Amino acid sequence: MRSPQFSSFVILVVLLVVFAVADGNFLSPLNISNMMAFLPELGIIALGMTLLLTAGEFDLSVGAVFGLAPVVVMLLVQNAGVDIGVALLAGLLLCIAIGAINGVIVTKIGISSFLVTLSMLLIVRGAALYITQGFPLKSWDQPGFFVTLLAGSFNIGAFRFYTSLWWFIGLSLLAVYVLRYAKLGNWISAIGSNRNAAVARGVPADTVKIWLFIATSVLAGLAGMISAFRISAASPVAGTGYELEVIAMVVVGGTALTGGRGTILGTIVGALMLRAIRNGIVLVGVPGLAYNIFVGVIILAMLILHALLQKNAARN
Amino acid sequence: MQEVLRLQNLQKSFGSVRALKNASLTLKEGEVVALLGDNGAGKSTLIKAISGVFPIDRGDIYVRGEKVSIRSTREAMDLGIETIHQDTSLAPDLSIARNLFLGREPVNLKWLGVFAPLDLAKLRDAASALLKRVGISKKLDADALVSTLSGGERQSIAISRAMQFAAKVIILDEPTNNLGVEETHGVLRFVKEMREAGHSVLLITHNIHHVFEVADRIIVMRRGEIVAEQTVADTDLLTVESLITGADLSALMKRAQ
Repeated sequence: MRSPQFSSFVILVVLLVVFAVADGNFLSPLNISNMMAFLPELGIIALGMTLLLTAGEFDLSVGAVFGLAPVVVMLLVQNAGVDIGVALLAGLLLCIAIGAINGVIVTKIGISSFLVTLSMLLIVRGAALYITQGFPLKSWDQPGFFVTLLAGSFNIGAFRFYTSLWWFIGLSLLAVYVLRYAKLGNWISAIGSNRNAAVARGVPADTVKIWLFIATSVLAGLAGMISAFRISAASPVAGTGYELEVIAMVVVGGTALTGGRGTILGTIVGALMLRAIRNGIVLVGVPGLAYNIFVGVIILAMLILHALLQKNAARN
Repeated sequence: MQEVLRLQNLQKSFGSVRALKNASLTLKEGEVVALLGDNGAGKSTLIKAISGVFPIDRGDIYVRGEKVSIRSTREAMDLGIETIHQDTSLAPDLSIARNLFLGREPVNLKWLGVFAPLDLAKLRDAASALLKRVGISKKLDADALVSTLSGGERQSIAISRAMQFAAKVIILDEPTNNLGVEETHGVLRFVKEMREAGHSVLLITHNIHHVFEVADRIIVMRRGEIVAEQTVADTDLLTVESLITGADLSALMKRAQ
């Protein structure tokens, strides 16, 4: 009852009921399919961000990487005539490099991840704008193995799902396993909870953090590719503001911004919640421009709830 | 008694500051040695060098007569040197069981490396057995989060962890800092138990009274050097205080009278 992911789950159910009652179309197959198409794109990034936050760091450059990776891949294919497989590999290496640079500067030079990844956000976004001259790339309409793999779709009854949902489910299971049951998860929580204690027990804290930065960057790039393939276009401004939305999903789910306490289940609930809010608010007729007011209020309410629950737990 | 740890002419500088000038000491089996000194005397530098936090510039370290080099905390632990730092030894958001085995987790499918699944049953059983053995099983559950424990309980957990891995040398850095009276006595009782179990203990503390209660020998450091070494039976509080500050307090006292 006191666990943060459970209280988030209750709020999610309440929100879903409210939206369903307010608008009959909210739970229609079309609308659910629609939500499930968007969910994985931010959700996949949120998984990496959860692990990173649990280790006590965060990454503001994910939205920019989400934009840059597909832009680079598509430029290589369309302008340089590179094979799509090779281009995707290049995109993967680029994401690994960005994550590694973030991680090495944070751990080895000791600059806070806020400042390092904020700078990286500007560099990566700037690079995406410069190499495209600010224009979206021409549309990509060649189906193939990789497009099917990342953004293929299939029908179950009246529902239409994208393969990205499988990616999200698979990666979620992997993340739950790593954080809760694997040796690595024990290390990640310990590093975020008390880095010195972890280091004193021989845990390679810097190496773990660098790999988590890499994983987060790679997941952001993967999400960007999924999105670009789904809409058959790559824009240099795609993913703008995603970093904050992803962090909101993670903390709304009950992961501590200060590290040590992370929950993947909570993050999944958080991702569903923000998706449902974004979708439901529009359906019930709240003006689009007022959307952020609601999102902000709901996030704040969730955080207050978590804080109160934690205070309560400490008192007992 | 057999010699367990010997340090010979250890030197360490940070820039132009010579934190450790020429430190030598010997620790025998089943012995509690108190390391005393004012702030900045070099105590921390010495124990950090032994526990592998940073490498020494010059000098030799012998463990049971064998020359070793300690380049990481992991290597120190593998040599049987366990260090319990003040307030920083445990991760508060992890359970007692997970803390006890942090860095040495029992796992299944070892070939998976860091992705190997924890052997949760073994983890919990071993933790419960350990808590029982050190006599705190009635109060503490192996699955309880460390953040719910008192300072004394945390210190007990950290010490039991060191004892569990059958460490030859246990270094305690200010173990009674921020503890209540009763908790302090609990920790001191632990130190005596460690000695009886055959562990060697290097105790760093500011509290000289504790030293007289549990230690066999006293080593005093001043400005990066070891300036005195005495058995507790052959010295008294005033002498030790004089050695720490470098002023002859007993002479001052006489003059005052």
